[in-house]
Amino acid sequence: MKFTYSTMRDYVATSLNAEALGDLLTMAGFELEGIEEETSEDPILDVKVMSNRGDGLSILGLAREVLAKDAESQPTELYLAAKSGFPNVATSRPAEALVRIDSALCNRFACVTVSGISSAATPDWIKYRLERIGMRSISLLVDLTNYVMLEIGQPLHAYDLGKLGKEIVVREARDGETIKTLDGVDRNLTAGQLMICDASRPVGVAGVMGGFDTEVDDSTTAILLESAHFVNTSVRKTRKQLGLNTEASYRFERSVDPKITDVAIRRFLQLLTSVLPEVSISELTDVVRSEPAEVFVELELARASRLLGMEITPDEASRYLSALGFEILATEPLKVKVPSWRPDVVRAEDVVEELGRVHGYERIPEELPVGHTTMGGVHGKYRLADAVVEGMIRLGYVQVVSHTLRSEHPLDAPTERVGPRNPGSPELALLRNSLLPGLTEAALRNGGKDVHLFEVGKVFENDEDGHRELAFLAVLSTGKLQPANRASDQPPVADFYSLKAELESVLRSVGITARFTADELPNEGRFHPGRRALVFDRAGDCIGVMGQIHPLVAEASDLPEATFIAEIWLDPAFRNAQENPQLKSISRNPAVSRDIAVLIDKSVPFEKIQAAIISAPTDLLENCWLFDVYEGTGIPEGKHSLGIGLQFRKMGANLTDEEGNQARDAIVAAIVELGGILR
Amino acid sequence: MENVGSLVLAAQDEITAAASTADLKQIEIKYLGKNGLITSLMRQMGSLSAEEKPAFGAAVNTAKATVQESIDNRFSALRDVELAHRFEAEKIDVTMPGRQTRVGYAHILHLTTLKIKRVLGGLGFRYEEGPELEDFKYNFDALNYPPDHPAMDDQDTFYVADDLVLRTQCTALQGRIFAQEKPPLRVFTVGRTFRNEAVDRTHNHTFHQVDCFMIDENVSMAHLKGTLGTFARAMFGPEVKVRFRPDFFPFVEPGVDYAISSPKLFNGRWVELGGAGLIHPNILEANGIDPQKYSGFAFGLGVERIPMMAYGVDDLRLFLENDLRFLSQFQGIAA
Repeated sequence: MKFTYSTMRDYVATSLNAEALGDLLTMAGFELEGIEEETSEDPILDVKVMSNRGDGLSILGLAREVLAKDAESQPTELYLAAKSGFPNVATSRPAEALVRIDSALCNRFACVTVSGISSAATPDWIKYRLERIGMRSISLLVDLTNYVMLEIGQPLHAYDLGKLGKEIVVREARDGETIKTLDGVDRNLTAGQLMICDASRPVGVAGVMGGFDTEVDDSTTAILLESAHFVNTSVRKTRKQLGLNTEASYRFERSVDPKITDVAIRRFLQLLTSVLPEVSISELTDVVRSEPAEVFVELELARASRLLGMEITPDEASRYLSALGFEILATEPLKVKVPSWRPDVVRAEDVVEELGRVHGYERIPEELPVGHTTMGGVHGKYRLADAVVEGMIRLGYVQVVSHTLRSEHPLDAPTERVGPRNPGSPELALLRNSLLPGLTEAALRNGGKDVHLFEVGKVFENDEDGHRELAFLAVLSTGKLQPANRASDQPPVADFYSLKAELESVLRSVGITARFTADELPNEGRFHPGRRALVFDRAGDCIGVMGQIHPLVAEASDLPEATFIAEIWLDPAFRNAQENPQLKSISRNPAVSRDIAVLIDKSVPFEKIQAAIISAPTDLLENCWLFDVYEGTGIPEGKHSLGIGLQFRKMGANLTDEEGNQARDAIVAAIVELGGILR
Repeated sequence: MENVGSLVLAAQDEITAAASTADLKQIEIKYLGKNGLITSLMRQMGSLSAEEKPAFGAAVNTAKATVQESIDNRFSALRDVELAHRFEAEKIDVTMPGRQTRVGYAHILHLTTLKIKRVLGGLGFRYEEGPELEDFKYNFDALNYPPDHPAMDDQDTFYVADDLVLRTQCTALQGRIFAQEKPPLRVFTVGRTFRNEAVDRTHNHTFHQVDCFMIDENVSMAHLKGTLGTFARAMFGPEVKVRFRPDFFPFVEPGVDYAISSPKLFNGRWVELGGAGLIHPNILEANGIDPQKYSGFAFGLGVERIPMMAYGVDDLRLFLENDLRFLSQFQGIAA
C-alpha cells in the first residue's frame, strides 16, 4: 500500500517524519517496504499489509494505527469527520435507482445518481497524490472514486447513467453470458460469478472491474455511483477465473468495512461538489441483504499479560483498544465490541495480540521457559540415521544432498513412482525412488572419476496400498581409494570388495550385521548381473542391494564401468538394529595361527567354505580370514586356490602345537567334504 | 703387574684414537670381551702364589673398570657426533606437502542441522520427523488455514493428489504430534519443504526448515523470545539480539516475524529470520487441549538462511548442486 506523507498528514497531526512513521507502522505490523523520494517535501511510503488486515489498505486504517501507537499524534478534523461517517450532501431528488440483490454473494449495494455534470479537471492536489503513488489520472469522476478508495478503503464505481438501463440487479452470471470489461477485453462468464447487471446484461464484474459499455467519458453528464460490499471469497474466485487483479478486487478479497458503503458515497459527493457545486444529486439507495454480525469478546486482562509475558494495565488496555475503534463495554473482565472493519478479531487471543502490538513487542522481555522438564535431543532411528552419516564420513565419503523432484534416470529403482500433478516442468515430474541418480549427477559434476559420495535421504515408492516414504542410504564409489601423492604411489582402487567392507563397517556401527548373497532381485537392471549382492540383516530381512554398475547403465550415465553403487534401505534396516551388544569374554592366553591353502571349485561360494570352517568339530577357532585368491599357472581350469588364515585360542590355558594342528586338521576335513583339496 | 698397567695404557691410547662408536665396540671386545686381553689376565691366577692372588685380582678388576669407564665416556662423545652427522644427512624439507589420505566430510546443511539439533535438544526439545509427502489436512487444515487460502493454490503447492501435497512447511508436524501426545511437550524438526516456484538465487522449489514448538502451562511470548534469543545466539554468536514484529500466520495468535541483529553481523541491521507466535487456540481446542490451562509457542525458519547469513553464501541453488568446490569449504565447521 503506497501513500504520500501529505495524505497521511490530512488524517493525523503528527510530528513524526516519514521515516519515523514507517518505523511505527512496521512495529504495528505494517512493514515498511520502502520510502521513495525520502528527501523531498512529500515522500512516498510503501507498507506491506498482511492478508488478514484489509483495513490497512486505506489512509484511515493506517491513521488509526498511528493514533493508537503514538500518544503524541492527534486526529485531524478530516479524521474525525471520516470517523463520524462524513456529513450528508444536499440532495435535490428522491432515490431513483431500482436495485435488487439476487445473490447471497452481495451483502449490500448502495448508490446515488448524479446529473448535471459538466466537464471539469481533477483538482491538482488529488491528481498529484494519485500520480505520486503510481495511479494514472483518468478523469475527474474516475480519479475521485480512486481517491476515496485510497482514503477510506471502499472501492467505488461510476457508471454513465445514459448508457445504463433503469434497473440494477446484482446476480450471478449465467453460463454463456459475456461482458466487455473496462480494459476492452471480451470475457466469457460462467455460472456463479457475481455481476452487476441492468435489465438486459451484465454491466460490471462485482468487486473487480466495471463494464466497457457503461464507462464514463468526457461526454458523461449523469452517473450512477456504486458503493457495495461483496463476499470476499466470491470476488477472489471470479478474479482468478477471469485473470483480473484490480485495486478493488485486492481490497474486497482481504476485507472491506461492510459499514462504509454510504460513508464512501458521502465523501465522494463532498469532493465532487467542491469541484462542481451545481450538480444534482439523488437520495441514497441502500439495499442491505445481510448485516454483518456484531462480535463481542471477553478477556481477563491478567491472562493477556500472562500470555504476552508483559504487564498491561486496565488503563492502557482501554486506551489502546478505544484508539483502534473497539467499544469498551466492561472492564473486569474486559468486554469489547469489535469494530466492523476488523473481521480478523473473533476471540480473546486476537485481542491479546492487539494489546501486545500497540503496547510494543519490543517491551517483551526474554525469558526461558519454566515448568515441566522434558527429555530433549535426538533419539532412536533419527540418531541411527545421523550415525550412518558419521560412519560414512569416517570411511572417507563426502555427503551430498540432492533434489527430491526430478526427471527419469537410468539408475531409478524398479519401483512404481509418484509425482506432482502440477510439476511446472518435466525436470520436476517425479519424486525420486532412488538416491543413485542424484549421486550420479553429483559424481559427474565433480569430474566423474576418483569420487566417493553418499547421500542419506527420503525416497518415494508406490503400490496398490498407496505410497511409501522411506529413508535410504546410497553410496557411489569409483576410482582411487587414496590419493596418489607421489608418482611412485600405487593406491588401491574401488572394487566390489572395498565397497562391501565399507558397507559392513558402517552398518556394524549402527548395530546391523550384514550378510551379502547372490540372490536375484526381480527387475533390478542397474547392476552387473555377476557382480552384485543383496544385503540382509541378522533377522533375514533384505535391507539393500550393492555391486558394480551395469556396463550399459554406466555408458548411459557417463560413468566409468568400474563404478560401485549401493542402496541401503534404512527404514527396514533400523528395525532390527541391535542396541545392546552382549560382551564375549576375551582370553588372556596367546593365540596359535595356522595358514592353509585349499584348491577348490570356483563355483563353491566362500560363504559355504566359511560356514564349514566355523561349524568344524573344534571349539578353539577364534578367527578365520581369506588372505589369498589364486588362479592361473598350476591351477586346473574352473578351480582356484584359496589361502585361509586360522587363529586358535583357549580360555585360561595356552595351546600346544599339537592342539593347533588337530584343530586345523578338523577344519581341513570339513573343507575336503566340500570337494576341496589341501595344497 | 706391570703387564696390567701397560695393557691399560695401550687400551686408553686406542680408546682415545677411536674414530667411531663402531671402532670403540671393537676395542671393547679386544680388551674386555670374553677372551679380551685384560679379561684373559685372570687365567694367570693359577700360576700365582696364594699371597700374590688377591693383589693381582684386585689390579685386574681395577684395570677392567678403568678401561670400561674410558670406553663409556668416549662412546657417548662419539655417539653425539655421529647422531649430529646423521641428523644433518637425514634432514627433510618439512614444507613439502603432507601425504594426503582421503577424507570424508558432511554437507553444510547436515552440519547446520546437527548444530540446530544440539542447541534445541539442549533446551529440552525432542527431535521428530514428519513425512515430506504430507496429508493436505496436516499441511493446512490442522494449522487453522481457512478453506480457499491462497497458499493452497496449484501455483504455490505441489499436489500429488487432492489430499496429498509435498509439504510447504515443516509446521505440518505440529498437527501430527498434537493428535498423538498431550502437553507438556517440546518438539522440533528439521526437514525438507517444497514450494511450486521458479528457481533463482534466492528462491528454490526445494529447501529446508526448522520448526520448533512447545505447549505447557503459562507459556508466554517472553518464553518464545527467550528461547529464540538463546537459539539465535547459539547459532550466530553471543551478541545477537531478537526483535519481534507483528505478522500473520494462520497457526499462531499473536503472530510475529522475528529478526536478529548483531554488531558483528549484517552491519548491525535487523535481518528477518522467520515466523513465530503463540500456537493458535483453535489448534489447541481442535486437539482437546484447553487453551485456558495451556498455551504454547512455535517458531520456524529456513535452514539455508543460517549458512547464508553466517558464511556469506549468496546463492540458494548452491546447496543442492553438490559442487565439491562449494561443499569442501565447510570442513572447518564443528557442528
